[in-house]
Amino acid sequence: MDLTFLERGIIAALCIGMIAPLLGTLLAVRRSSIIADSLSHVTLTGLSAGVLIGGTFEFLPVHPLYTGFAFSLAGSLFIEKLRQEYASFQELAAPIILSAGIGLSAVFMSLAPSGQNEWYDYLFGSIVSVGEGDLLFILVTFLVSVVLFIVFFKELVFVSFDQEGAAVSGIHMKTINFLFSFLTALVISMSMKVVGILLVGALIALPASAALQLAKSFRALVLWSIIIGEAAVISGVIGSYHLSLATGGSIVVSAALILGAVLLWKPLVRIFSRRNPL
Amino acid sequence: MEAFLQYDFLRNALIAGILIGFTAPVLGVFIVVRRLALLTDALSHITLTGIAFHLFLSQTLSVLTGLSPVYMGMIFAAAGSLFIEKLRTVYTAYQELAVPIILSSAIGLGVIFISLADGFNQDLFAYLFGSVIAVSKGDLGAVTGIAIFVTIVLILFYKQLLFIAFDENQARVSGIPVKSMNLLFIIMTALVIATSMQLVGILLVSSLMTLPVAAALQAAKSFRQMFVYSVIVGEASVLIGMISAFYLDVSSGGMIVLAALVLLLASMLYRKASGRAVFHPGRQKEAAVE
Repeated sequence: MDLTFLERGIIAALCIGMIAPLLGTLLAVRRSSIIADSLSHVTLTGLSAGVLIGGTFEFLPVHPLYTGFAFSLAGSLFIEKLRQEYASFQELAAPIILSAGIGLSAVFMSLAPSGQNEWYDYLFGSIVSVGEGDLLFILVTFLVSVVLFIVFFKELVFVSFDQEGAAVSGIHMKTINFLFSFLTALVISMSMKVVGILLVGALIALPASAALQLAKSFRALVLWSIIIGEAAVISGVIGSYHLSLATGGSIVVSAALILGAVLLWKPLVRIFSRRNPL
Repeated sequence: MEAFLQYDFLRNALIAGILIGFTAPVLGVFIVVRRLALLTDALSHITLTGIAFHLFLSQTLSVLTGLSPVYMGMIFAAAGSLFIEKLRTVYTAYQELAVPIILSSAIGLGVIFISLADGFNQDLFAYLFGSVIAVSKGDLGAVTGIAIFVTIVLILFYKQLLFIAFDENQARVSGIPVKSMNLLFIIMTALVIATSMQLVGILLVSSLMTLPVAAALQAAKSFRQMFVYSVIVGEASVLIGMISAFYLDVSSGGMIVLAALVLLLASMLYRKASGRAVFHPGRQKEAAVE
């Protein structure tokens, strides 16, 4: 396939605009949206470790995206462990992992020979930096996660809404929880080239938050968040192209604007419906 | 160690580090007990938005170029903290969404400002991950001022803050002005975050507030001990981190966090070895507040 760098970037962005909000709805219902932020910071550790290893031992063919994925998977398992450790302060697990991840990456980054611009690409995303190998990684992970979502959709939704009920009705909780971690790690590592580590969490959390305000059923929730996610990605890419802004930033800001509009819209609807009582 | 006493900028950084090693963990104890650990992350990301906004504005308004971007960061952090409180009331069923929403929008907006200001350079890296060279005389003044302010507030309102941290409703009933106390507390937190940022960096500030407290939870037997242990761990990680970063020539913010992390792991192992349970402040409530 002969694609220009812009086409590659747009295909990647469209894939992410669908899969990240989809995961976001499940995480929001599970009340663990913040997991995405913690894991994205751990992914950065994996990335910087990958760049460091690749830079020091040149004979090792290490691609930073894969080490990033490996670290974020390990991090998600570690968070579960920490949650058990701090039984009465479960919400401490995410910040501990987040801090540990970013602290380690700071050290790795200062050790690695790579320049700052490469780090900025990983931190804030850059749609023009999506190479052929990156696009392949994104497409493969996209297909894997779509298949996983379709096959396990019922189980994932059941577990998100009602852990105990799901466990009682014979769903193997350990497998499903692992699947959640695996999917989150997958989505984060595929998104980081386009929106960047610091902004992945936004693409997961913001569309779902806006959809929560609009949707009346779970099906509608999933649909709305995908629509909002794609709208944010498309308007962000177009906006960043015309105004020459950072892509990741403009995607997130358009998602935030949509959320703001939805939040303002709801009280307006209420006011108007009050004025015209039917 | 001599290098730290010899060079002015290293001495400034060291003094600032020692002050932050005290204020951040002390506020962290209240934050962790109130289950607001993630709030610090949201506030630090808003601080970045403020700094980026300053960089952007100072391109057109030359008045601002002389000022330190930290002040704009402080203003944004304080405003953001009020906004989070507001969002909590919108998503009553999903309160925990408020923090990710603010955190993500803040960083997105920050990136836009940075790219408008053409700011993807060395300075930004120092703001993100901290830098010992960045601490100037003026910054040291700001850190000292805020440390004094925090200490005075804590001495004056210790009992009230503690009461609110454990049981907000009970505190309200017994006549404590919860709303203004919360405001005071959250602004104090925003100020500490904004000033710590130069030394440890925006992405690492929150770890100085949570990691020492998480370690203290493992070892402490009372609330008072939690303060003492948190400050000890905080100071130890700042000192170990800064000195080792200097000799190994790596990022100081990163080493400070790693030192705190090692101390946390050590405290976990210590607790496991001694076979005790993690400290649960709730049980100490009556004793602490009486």
